[in-house]
Parts: sequence; structure tokens; C-alpha cells
Amino acid sequence: MITLTIAIFLLGIIIVGLLNRYPKAAGVIAFFVSLIPFFALLSWSSVMNISLPSYLHFLNFETSWQYNLGPGTLILQITPLGWFFLLLLSSLFPMVILFSISFFRSNAGGFYAAMLLTMLGSFGILLAQDMLTFYIFWEIMSWSILALVIRGGDRKAIVSYLSFGALSAMLILFGFMLLYFKTGTYVFAEMHLDASNLVLAAISLIVSGFAVKGALMPMHVWAPHVYSKSEEPFVAFLSGGLSKLGYFGIMLFMYGVVGFSLLSSWGTFRGVPLFGYTLAVVGAFTAFAGTVLAVMQDDLRKLLAYSSIGQLGYITIGLGIGTPLAITGALFQALNHTFFKAVLFLAAGAVYYRTGKYKISELGGLGYKMPFTFLATLFSIFALAAIPITSGFAAKWLLYEAAIEKKFLFVTPIMLIAGVGAFLYAYKILYGVFLGEPRYDVKEAPLSQLVPMWILVLPLIIFLIFPGWFVDLTAPILQGYGMTAIPHTPFMINTSLAKYNTLAVIFGFIGTLLFAFILYKSKPQERVEHLDNYLAGEPPELYNYNIAMHASSKYYEPFDEVFYPYFKKGAERMWEIILAAGEVFGSGARKIYTGIVGDYSIYILLFFLIMVGWWLLW
Amino acid sequence: MNHENWSKLARIMSKRSLWMIHFCTGCGAMEMPPVMTSRYDMERFGMHAMATPRQADVFLVTGYLAVKTLKRVVQVYEQMRDPKYVIGFGSCTINGGMYWDSYNTIKDLSKYIPVDVYIAGCMPRPEAIMDSFLKLFDMIDKGEAIGWQKYHKYYDQYKRNQRMAFSYRLDEVKDIKEDDKE
Amino acid sequence: MVNYIDLTIQILVAMGVTALGFAIGMLFNGIARKITARIHNRVGPPIYQGYIDVLKLFTKKTNISHGWIFDFAALFSVAGIALTFLFLPVAGVTLLSGEGDIFLILYLLAIPALGFALGAGASGNPNAAVGIMRALMTMLAYELPLVMVIIAMMVYYDTTSLAVIVQKQANMQWAIFIPVFFIGALVADMALQGMLMEKPFDIPIAPHEIASGPMVEFGGKHLGALMLYKMMGIVVETTLFVDLFLGGGVVLSVSQFGWLAYLVNFIVWFLLILFVFFIALLINAVFPRFRIEQALKFYWKYDAIVGILILIWIFVGVTI
Repeated sequence: MITLTIAIFLLGIIIVGLLNRYPKAAGVIAFFVSLIPFFALLSWSSVMNISLPSYLHFLNFETSWQYNLGPGTLILQITPLGWFFLLLLSSLFPMVILFSISFFRSNAGGFYAAMLLTMLGSFGILLAQDMLTFYIFWEIMSWSILALVIRGGDRKAIVSYLSFGALSAMLILFGFMLLYFKTGTYVFAEMHLDASNLVLAAISLIVSGFAVKGALMPMHVWAPHVYSKSEEPFVAFLSGGLSKLGYFGIMLFMYGVVGFSLLSSWGTFRGVPLFGYTLAVVGAFTAFAGTVLAVMQDDLRKLLAYSSIGQLGYITIGLGIGTPLAITGALFQALNHTFFKAVLFLAAGAVYYRTGKYKISELGGLGYKMPFTFLATLFSIFALAAIPITSGFAAKWLLYEAAIEKKFLFVTPIMLIAGVGAFLYAYKILYGVFLGEPRYDVKEAPLSQLVPMWILVLPLIIFLIFPGWFVDLTAPILQGYGMTAIPHTPFMINTSLAKYNTLAVIFGFIGTLLFAFILYKSKPQERVEHLDNYLAGEPPELYNYNIAMHASSKYYEPFDEVFYPYFKKGAERMWEIILAAGEVFGSGARKIYTGIVGDYSIYILLFFLIMVGWWLLW
Repeated sequence: MNHENWSKLARIMSKRSLWMIHFCTGCGAMEMPPVMTSRYDMERFGMHAMATPRQADVFLVTGYLAVKTLKRVVQVYEQMRDPKYVIGFGSCTINGGMYWDSYNTIKDLSKYIPVDVYIAGCMPRPEAIMDSFLKLFDMIDKGEAIGWQKYHKYYDQYKRNQRMAFSYRLDEVKDIKEDDKE
Repeated sequence: MVNYIDLTIQILVAMGVTALGFAIGMLFNGIARKITARIHNRVGPPIYQGYIDVLKLFTKKTNISHGWIFDFAALFSVAGIALTFLFLPVAGVTLLSGEGDIFLILYLLAIPALGFALGAGASGNPNAAVGIMRALMTMLAYELPLVMVIIAMMVYYDTTSLAVIVQKQANMQWAIFIPVFFIGALVADMALQGMLMEKPFDIPIAPHEIASGPMVEFGGKHLGALMLYKMMGIVVETTLFVDLFLGGGVVLSVSQFGWLAYLVNFIVWFLLILFVFFIALLINAVFPRFRIEQALKFYWKYDAIVGILILIWIFVGVTI
């Protein structure tokens, strides 16, 4: 069945690629193909100890698949961790394709083909059980992303993605080589690692390689360029889905292959492995710096890109701390981020579809024109800002609890301040795009764009009410690492420090909202148009009803003034310095090649002498 | 509680918490600081100055009104919410005061918006302002301060007067008069 | 099986305490104006002026709305602040505070703020937008020293639940008597000044600069709801401070003294929040207003440095 899936995917890619002149037909075919991973997910639900009714898994996928290749065997097998991340990607992917059916008016065949190839690569990565398979599918995924970035057509985005993608691939490959050198096998399950420095080097290389895909600072430089210059549905999938593959890789190698006890053997600090501690500090820095940079942006997509970087920093913190609480929080944050960030990018796409603008200072007042888009955005923004009426709060809460439990005294304030910073840019999106002065007379987004957005909002509401269900999902994953799931009931999560009862919050909020509603309904009200406004007494007819009232240009100017000097020399500057140093070193090294045969013979002689001398001395 | 008692309660609340917006067009603004600060302290009646007409209950028009400022006065008055009261401050609002023969000032404010209480004088002393507040309280208590109801009732006439004032060319005035005949 | 009688009693108690919170909030408004007036050598309004103002706003004959997003402000602000109050231990009475912790309270406080911001933004007035920008930046400024102190307390008491922190301060072992948290209380009190939006941090609502900022378009019942939010906000924020540093006002244990303990605790709690609010008022009455970047620099430079010292103190002191 997995063979058949891959075959259908490849066939679908060829068909939609050929249907370039018929974007709607290509989109519909791509949509049906894109549903297959979700059916596979349903049929594998027994891995997570979930028993679904039989009509939900009518397709029976085998749980493991092997193909004998010359140097090794390709092994695909479903694991709880793979299942969890497949849940994120396979539920997001069809929605993104559905959104793009109406989004693209022409020239969409290549888009669908590359998207399907990306999904195929991700499918393979999540099921891979050996380094060879993992790397092959990783490259398929990375290169098909490059195809999609090229469709965006921005040179800086292409170059930065290409160079950082190559860096990521090199780091991962080098780490894999070291692991293979140490163990002599590709298969994860057969690796027996010890606490040598070689393994530490390997895992450090692999984690930093994945950090590029997860846009961890200072490896994030490619992300804002790519996110702001590519097509919306792809960016939604890249930010929501594909960036999680980096964190899947980090989890797989840190906790699956190396394991918590081995990590601790390289030194611990207050019960946390030093390796994880470093990762958590880097994650906290990423969360803070990403947030501050997001507040400064004016381009809607760039803002969302930096916000993405900041929110993914929280996942890194959770993976760094590495207690069951922290890992649950990190996975929860990954799930939330998948859905809310996808909705935000899709909403940005819908706004662009109607108005043709991405600059926040040029938009405004769309809330009354596009109410359903606005409400979907509002829900995702509540999740982004961790307001306790969506599931976004539970994830952040778990991470805070985990940090306090392990006495992270300096990381926790940074996390909380990054959380407050999220309010700032969240409100910038809401005000700049949806509130304020109505500037555009546009219609609501088409139904085929609204439906995906609202379907993606649903998980945020479901896991608000039942955070315990989510903890159930993490139980098999944690079991694999020799940990137990945190204590919970469907509505409540307990930790050693406190508990969080969603029923109390929800019923409390409904009750108080009812009280407020009665107060509010106590008197009738009349609707006035937006120009009937306090303008210091100026009658609008004096200005022919043409008064600019939108204040979204340079909205956080005092903030920019305070923070800009510290963020002026960003990470790009750092990489430029590294590049310049490399160039100096390279041009110095090139002087060795003089082109004179006599010099070369002296080099050979020197080399020989050194070798002999070494052999004699040791 | 029946409707009569309810509106009586509303009137009492309205009386004890009058929020004021003062439209300082002329010299009258100088008399307001003593009224607000410790010499006379109008906050002991629950009154204090608000920033916008949406929040205000009582509208203090201090001093003379040029035609240009009348437009702003009408705009501010219409943005206030019922029940709302107007205090005409100084002789200029009553009959034009020392600007009685100016081509560019309006002479009688009550032609354009309903005025509940007038304060005569040029300038009226802060004591006179306090007295006008007490008078307004008394009128609200008795249900006599009904300027806002008058504005709804005779809306067309007030609008017509306003348009007459705003249009300074004679032919426009003629147009307005002909509109009314139809 | 849910015990319906207990549940009903709990709901009634919750409603009663919420009503009490609103009542005290309105009383505080009057007290604040009276005290400020006395400092200015004025007579000032009667102390029940807050009740009159709110009632008057709800009896206005006509109200305006700029559409359904504008109405979010009235709904979310009252609902959110009442919900936050339910999650606080009040005089040792833990209504819902066992069901959440300080992080939840900090984020619940964002519900009314965000609802308010939505409504203000939907009015379309540029003054409102500028006011919200200032409010959010003030929030960013004062949160840093505040969360530093709170996190130091969480690690010291080894819990994140406010109810447990109050419990551990029973028998007059208040946190403010511990030297490090005495300094912490001073830091948090400065943050509280920003939280209460009193001078010198009343930057968001600056009537003379930006026409009362976010509230510029609200009138009638909408403004009434916002006043309820602001008044209840005073009670919530001072109660948070009292719960953290002054033992929540618990002086008698309920198990020992029964109903008398509830009565005495409530009175002590009321006096303590009045005292905390009184300090804020005194600072408010004599200071002018900061600019927004000055406020940010004040909190992130001076307040936060003391916060970092407290964190280092706790970091060195705590052993695992």
C-alpha cells in the first residue's frame, strides 16, 4: 500500500504538471491525491492506542515497508512520533491545496506538482527508520521547496534558501557520516552509542542542521526572505508544516537515537543536560528576538515570518528542557503553531486575493467587509497570543511550568516577555488590516478559501476544551523515551506546581460573558458610520468626506526607536562577517597554488617529512 | 418600578454626574480654571471635564461664535448622546454681545442648537457659572431641561437655520427659502 | 455524580464575590477622587460618586456603536475582568484559584485588554489607535520587572499557584517580611503603578494629548462597561499584589475561628488593598506624565536591574 501511495503521488505529480493550463482541474486532482496521507494516518491510529470506527480507516496501510538497496535497506515504519507529526502535516496539506484552487488563476500545475513532491518527501521523512531513507526523502523535500521558492521569483530569497539549505544538508550529512563511522549501521534501532565526544559532535551537527529548517536563530536568515516573497498557500504549508520537520528531526535524534540518559552523560546543570540547556537558552533568545523583529515589520508576511521564528523558539525551549512536561508543551506548541500560523498566512493570502496589498500601512478596515476571514484570524491570533480562550494557552503554560519546575530563572522571564511582545504584533495585524478606517470596498473571500481556514481553526477549539486528549496523544511518544505522560483528565492537566482546569475557565468565561451581555443588551443602540467620529469637532463634509484616519503607518515608532539600535546589526551582518572571513582565508589559501612545479615538489617533500616525523615521534 | 419612577431616578443620576465638554471659542475659557480647581471646585457636584463629546452630558459654549466655529459646535452637539444639556456662556451667545454688528458672528445661539441655561455677563464671574450649574440641576430635577427633546422635535427648523447661517451668499439663502416652500 | 447543591452554592458565592468586587471597585473610584481632591486642597465629590457615574452611563437614552467589533469592547472587558477576579484568592477564599495559577491570571488579564483594544480599534479613530499602542507598550514595559519578581517568588515557594502561595504565607509569614521580597515588593509596586495606569504611567489615557486615548469614541453604556472594567481592574491588580506579598490579607485561620475569620479576613483584605491603592494614589497626585519611551527605559533599566539582582539572589540561594 505504501508502494501504491508513492506511485499515486508520482503519477499525480506528472498529471498536475501536465495540466498547467487548467489550474482548477489540476487543483482538484491534487486535492484528491493530497488526502491519501490522511487516510494512511487514520489506518495507523492503533500506533497511538486510538481505536477508530472501521468506516474511518477503510484503506489498510501496512505499518512497515522495506526495500533492499545496494549499500543498505530502505525502511519505512510508522512510529508514534512520526504519527504525531504526520497528523499535523497531513491535515494541513489538503486544506492548503483546497485554498489554492481558487487562489491561483493561472500557471498552477507546477505549483501543485512541487507541493505534492514536498508532501511525498515529508511523508518519507516521518516514516524513515534509517539514516539513508531519511536523507533521501529530506533531499526530495528540500529541493522541491527550492522549486517553489523559485516560483516566487525573488533573487535574495532563492540565494538565501539555497545557501542555507545546502548548509543544513551538509551539517546533517556530516553528522550522519560520523554516526555511521561510529556504529557501522544506518538503522536507528541498531545504533548503540556511547558517551564519546564523537557522538556529541555528531548530534550537535545534526541538531544545528535541523535548526536551519526550524528557523532557529542565528540560522533563520533565509526564513523572512522566503516567507515574504513566495506564494501564500506554499508559505502557509512551509511555516505551518514543513518547519516542524526540523523539530521532528531534533526530537528524533536527541531523544529517539541518543536518548536522555546519554545526553545527561555530557554534563548536567541542575538536572538538565548541558546540551539541552544550551538549546533552551538559544530558543529563548530566538523567541525574544523574533518577537521584537516581528513588531518592527510593516510587510504582513515578513511580520508573520518573524513571528513564526519567535513561536518556533518556544518549541526549542521545550525540547531543550526535556522533561515530560516540557516535551508535551513543545509538541502542543508545534500543533498549535501548525494550525494558527497556517490560518494567518492563508488569511493574508485571502486579503491579498481581494485587495492586492501586503503592506499593513496600506490596508485597513477589512473586518466589516470580510467578517469570516476576520473571525478566523482573530481566533488564530488568540492562539498566537496564548489567550486562554483557545488552545494556545495550554501549550505556553506547559512550557512555563516546565521551566519553573527546572528552576530556569532567567529563561522564563524572557519567555513571558516574548509572550507579551506577541500581543504587540498581534494587535498590529488586527488593527492594521482588519480594524480602523475602511479603505477598500471588497467582498468576502470565496468559500473555497474560507472553508480551509475554518477547518484549521477547529483543532484550536477542540484542544482548548480537551487538553487531556492531547496529553493522551503524547503518551506513546513519551513511552518510547522511557517517560510517562503527565497526569491529566480530559479537561485538566496537573503538574507538580499547579493545575489547569479548562472547564473552570470556559464555564467562568461563559458565565461572565452572559453577565456582560445582559448589561450590554440593557439599552438599545444605533449604528453610526465611521466618519461620525470624534475629529475635534471638524465636520467631515468640509473635507468632502475624505479624511485619512488610519494610524497604522509606523505604528510602534517609539518601540522601534528604543530597540532598533540593538537589532540594527542583525544575524545577516554576522553571516556576512563569516563570509568575509572565509573569503580572506580562501584567497590566502589560494596563494599556495603558485603554478610552479618546483613549489609543488617542495610541498610533497614537506608533507612526506611531516608524516615520517610523526611516525618516528609516536 | 414604573416608568415614571425610573426616569426620575435617571434624572437624579444625570444631575449628580454631569460630565462637561467645554467649547472654548473665545475669552470664556479663562473663567473655567477657577471653577475646576480648588477655589470653586465643581467636582463636588460630580462634574468634571471630559475630552470628547461622546462621553459628555453638558456642553459649555464659552463666548462668541463665528459662522465657521458654529459648524464645529453643531458637529459636537450632534455627537453627544441624549440626554444632553447646553449652557450658553456670556452675552455673546445671547445677542452677540460686543460683536452685535459683526457680519461674521451669529447673534442668537438658541436658533441653531437648543440652549437650556444662559449666563449673562461679559465675562461672567465664576460664581455666575456655579449658579448656572445649580440652576441646571434644578431644571433637570423638575424635568424642565428638555433642550435635547426640542432638538429632535424641531430638527428641520434647526437644520434650516444652520444652513442659512452657513450659506453666506444671498442666492443660496434664496434657494433654502424656496426649498422650504416646496 | 455532580453534587448540585454544592455547585449551586459555589455559583452563588462566586456571583456574590464578583458583585462585591464591582462594588468595591466603584467605591475605590470615589475614594480615589476624594483623596486626590483633598491633596489639591479641594472638597471633591462624595465617595459614592463612582456608583452614580456608572448608573448614569447605563441610563443614557441613546447609545452609538461602530458595528459588532466595537461591541466586543463592552462584552470582553467586563467578562474578562470578572473572570480574572474569580481566579484570585480573595481574603483566603479560593473560588476558582485552585483551578489555575499565576500564569493563567496574567494571561486572563489580557482578555479584557484585548477586547478593549479590538473595540477601540474598530471605532476607527486615530487617537484610539495611538492610545492602544501606548497601552500595549506600557504593558510590555511593566511586565518585565513584574514577572521577574513573580518568578523569583514561584521558585522560592516552589509552586506557581497563587492559592498555595497565599497558604504558605499563613500565620503572618508574609513574603514582605523576607528581605529579598521586601525589595521585590518595591519593584512590583512600581510595576503596579503602570498596571493601574496611574501617573506617571497614565500614558495610554492622556486626556490632554490624545483625547482619552482608547476611550475616545465610547459613550453611554459602552463607557459604563469600560468604567466597570477599569474600577474592577483596580481591585484585581491590588488583590494580586496583596496575595503575592501581604499574605492575601489572611490573619485568622478559618479552621480555628469559623465565620469570624471570614469576616476579619475580608476586612483586613479590604484595608490592605486600600492601602496599596493609596500609595499608588499618592504617587499619582504629585507626578507629571512620562513619555512612552521614558516609561520603557525606566522599567527596563532601573526596575529590571533590581529584578535581575533578586533573580540572582534566588538563583544562588536555591539548591537542588
